[in-house]
Amino acid sequence: MTENQHSDNHAVSPKPESAVKHLISFLIMIILTAAAFYVVIKSGSVVAEHLILPLILVFAVIQVFLQLFTFMHLGQKGSAYYAIFIMLGIVIAVISAVGIILM
Amino acid sequence: MATHTEASRSPHMPNHLETATFEGRNKVLGFWLFLGAETVLFACLFGTYLALRHQTMGGPSGHELFDLKLVGLATAFLLTSSLTSVLAILAMNQLKKKVMMFWLAVTVLLGLAFLILEINEFIHYVHEGHTFTSSAFGSSFYALVGTHGAHVTFGIIWISTLMLQAAGRGITEEMAPKLFVASLYWHFIDVVWVFIFTLVYLLGKVG
Amino acid sequence: MGTLIVLIVFALFLTAILTGGYNKTFLERVKNSKVWDWLTTVDHKKIGILYFLSGFFFFLVGGIEALFMRLQLVVPHNDLFVGDTFNELLTMHGTTMIFMAAMPMIFGLMNAVVPLQIGARDVAFPFVNALGFWLFFAGGLLMNLSWIFGGAPDAGWTSYTSLALNNYSPGPGVDFYVLGLQIAGIGTLIGGLNFMATIINLRAPGMTFLRMPMFTWTSFVTSTIILFAFPPLTVALLLLMFDRLFGSHFFDYTMGGSAVIWEHLFWIFGHPEVYIVILPAFGVMSEVISTFSRKRLFGYTSMVFATVLIAFLSFMVWVHHMFTVGLGPVSNSIFAVATMAIAVPTGIKVFNWLFTMWGGEIRFTTAMLFAIGFIPTFVMGGMTGVMLAAPPADFQYQDSYFVVAHFHYVLVGGTVMGLFAGAYYWWPKMFGKMLNETIGKIHFWTFLIGFHLTFFPQHFLGLFGMPRRVFTYQPGMGLDSLNLISTIGVVGMAIGTIAFLYNIYWSFKKAAPAPADPWDGRTLEWAISSPPPVYNFAQLPLVRGYDAWWMEKQAGNKSLPPAEPLGSIHMPSSSFIPILMALGFFIAGFGFIFRGDFVGAIIGLVLVIVCLFLRSFDRDHGYHIEPDEIEETNKGVQA
Repeated sequence: MTENQHSDNHAVSPKPESAVKHLISFLIMIILTAAAFYVVIKSGSVVAEHLILPLILVFAVIQVFLQLFTFMHLGQKGSAYYAIFIMLGIVIAVISAVGIILM
Repeated sequence: MATHTEASRSPHMPNHLETATFEGRNKVLGFWLFLGAETVLFACLFGTYLALRHQTMGGPSGHELFDLKLVGLATAFLLTSSLTSVLAILAMNQLKKKVMMFWLAVTVLLGLAFLILEINEFIHYVHEGHTFTSSAFGSSFYALVGTHGAHVTFGIIWISTLMLQAAGRGITEEMAPKLFVASLYWHFIDVVWVFIFTLVYLLGKVG
Repeated sequence: MGTLIVLIVFALFLTAILTGGYNKTFLERVKNSKVWDWLTTVDHKKIGILYFLSGFFFFLVGGIEALFMRLQLVVPHNDLFVGDTFNELLTMHGTTMIFMAAMPMIFGLMNAVVPLQIGARDVAFPFVNALGFWLFFAGGLLMNLSWIFGGAPDAGWTSYTSLALNNYSPGPGVDFYVLGLQIAGIGTLIGGLNFMATIINLRAPGMTFLRMPMFTWTSFVTSTIILFAFPPLTVALLLLMFDRLFGSHFFDYTMGGSAVIWEHLFWIFGHPEVYIVILPAFGVMSEVISTFSRKRLFGYTSMVFATVLIAFLSFMVWVHHMFTVGLGPVSNSIFAVATMAIAVPTGIKVFNWLFTMWGGEIRFTTAMLFAIGFIPTFVMGGMTGVMLAAPPADFQYQDSYFVVAHFHYVLVGGTVMGLFAGAYYWWPKMFGKMLNETIGKIHFWTFLIGFHLTFFPQHFLGLFGMPRRVFTYQPGMGLDSLNLISTIGVVGMAIGTIAFLYNIYWSFKKAAPAPADPWDGRTLEWAISSPPPVYNFAQLPLVRGYDAWWMEKQAGNKSLPPAEPLGSIHMPSSSFIPILMALGFFIAGFGFIFRGDFVGAIIGLVLVIVCLFLRSFDRDHGYHIEPDEIEETNKGVQA
């Protein structure tokens, strides 16, 4: 409709995006997933039982950020609005879920 | 007005075809906003499940039901499909249509494999007496995991449809945002699954 | 189901006969007719009018329900509407007013005004915008058809479980509530999403975030709240539907479910919802007060900050609706403090309005009267809100008429007054005709006095112990005369509303065409003709500051500086898919409500999916308006 919106995320040189960083983050995800399963299967013997939930939650959260910032291209130039609103969504989601569970 | 030309003809190819047009930028932004809403939606389902997960009413508990081997396999399928869908988008931005179609096809197949595993799992649970109506635990389990499964199903149909369109139209400035948004959706499904295997299956095993 | 199909076929048949018999040109005649144009429009100005008028229609329906309730309560032991009927009335009144009247009328103003205020030709997703309207309309219609098909919902607008479960609410009433709200809710969600994307991506050159008019700001923030608050409602309604139709046990405590989860889900949505309906009214007030005081809005930046803060806090206070559930002192204290904190940004706003008027050159037009009447009325509602936020006191007020008085002071004194102010202010821009100021003043005074007469006594009724949602009371308990006064007040509100109806009639029949800038306005929408041409701005304007149009007028300019040369303008094509898709949802809703083997539900959902495919494969990219056509339609109108 309008051309006045400057496309701010066009690189001048069309250098194709490399797949390497995606492969690396995929590897990390696989490792984190495997670690989470391992910790639970070896319940108690690797990690103390009350630490399992916090630990696997941390693993999950790291995976989320890997997905968001590598696979979903969040954080690259021009995606500030996406980041703001998805983060707002996450904050509200956490508040709601915790509210339902704890209150 | 941005014209929808076949992308290969434009002299200055942008690095990200999905946001090359005004419509594309709108679409990607709108879809991110939608994902924000979906995040809250799944959070509510998670909250409900976690609040009700001990209410088995004498039926089998998560600890007895869940088979981590199958869940691990399903997780591997879905995680890998997330990677293949991003590889498809990379190929799209390099205008390699055949490569893109290949990775999209792999994504769909992995999604189907995941779905088959999940359906089998549900059938098994029903035989064990863990149904949608057996207890509050059952209801909330199927509501959460089932909603995710419905999203996977929708994603498979969606990506297949787009493959059909891309096959005929090629990678255009009009197709690119559609494909990109579908891949965003697919990644989101994977993110939700990460929490499902953590908070439903693994936590169920822990107790 | 069969009845419905017969009805649709009959309606088509009737249209064919009335428009000159069925022949080959029938379809063509339909396509060229005005009705078809309105049914398939994707123009935000037309959708705004559709939203506003259908919202006003539901406002009248809800108003009549309220009137019936007050008639029942006029004397003790009255037997006009008792028991179930009264429960149906109160449920439908609340639900209709919130979801089918207030929100659509707000969306109406947003559609009509926001794209103009940011200097855009359209919204980001015109198709989604149309779909949002038709989904709301389908949902609203579905819910109100419950009066004919087996009884209206009767579990209150909050529809608490276990009351709303099959055991205690047999019959289709609550099913209508669940399905109707679900469909309307999806429409609202995508409508909000569309406005967020519009305001982020479509602002004219120079229209930075801190130059946006206050109404645009509040619309933006409201849309954000909608985006994050409606998913919990979607989940709540989905789970309730499962419990009622498919035998699950989310809320059934005998099978391990928890009724408190419904309350959580409902109020995680429900509290932000009250800000969804009040913030746009704040925006209207800011525009109206600033324009009719001929002053820049006092403390604009703090106003923006306050709006964002209110929105953020609105997600952390929902438990104040559940103080008496028994969640414990810690939880109650946290949420009480958070609730009281909202009074701070709201107070900032009230003082900003007062300071805007202070020293201003005030013109007492109808819109301004509504704005001025709004301030003390809303402050009273806010005060009782802070009273209710204190948990120990809330245990006394809980479920009494004090609560009823409180939320009517904020919803009627805030939202409805805001909507009326907005209607009088933007009517010329929406319809190209002025509303009559004299009738407007009659409307204002009867409505305001009637309102206070109705709801002020209800504070005391509550303090004297009259519970809400109960259809009668005993004589001689000190409740008789206050109830009588309250019902008399309704007459004033009714007269006011009738005056407004007559005013609408007057404006269509007798009013002269409105000038482009009747109020000596400050924002961009007043720089173009009333009503605006279909493309809004022939050339996108260059915005050089806050209150852009006012700045240009002060600088002696007769039009906005263009940011682009005159060129061909791209417009989206009309589409029948939105209404068809809404029809699919409507049929599916009916199918679920009638239970059985869900044939209707499947037919409806298949129609929805077909529409999705139609849309996905649709390659219609709209049409262009060429510069010479623009010149033609634009004679005598500045860009």
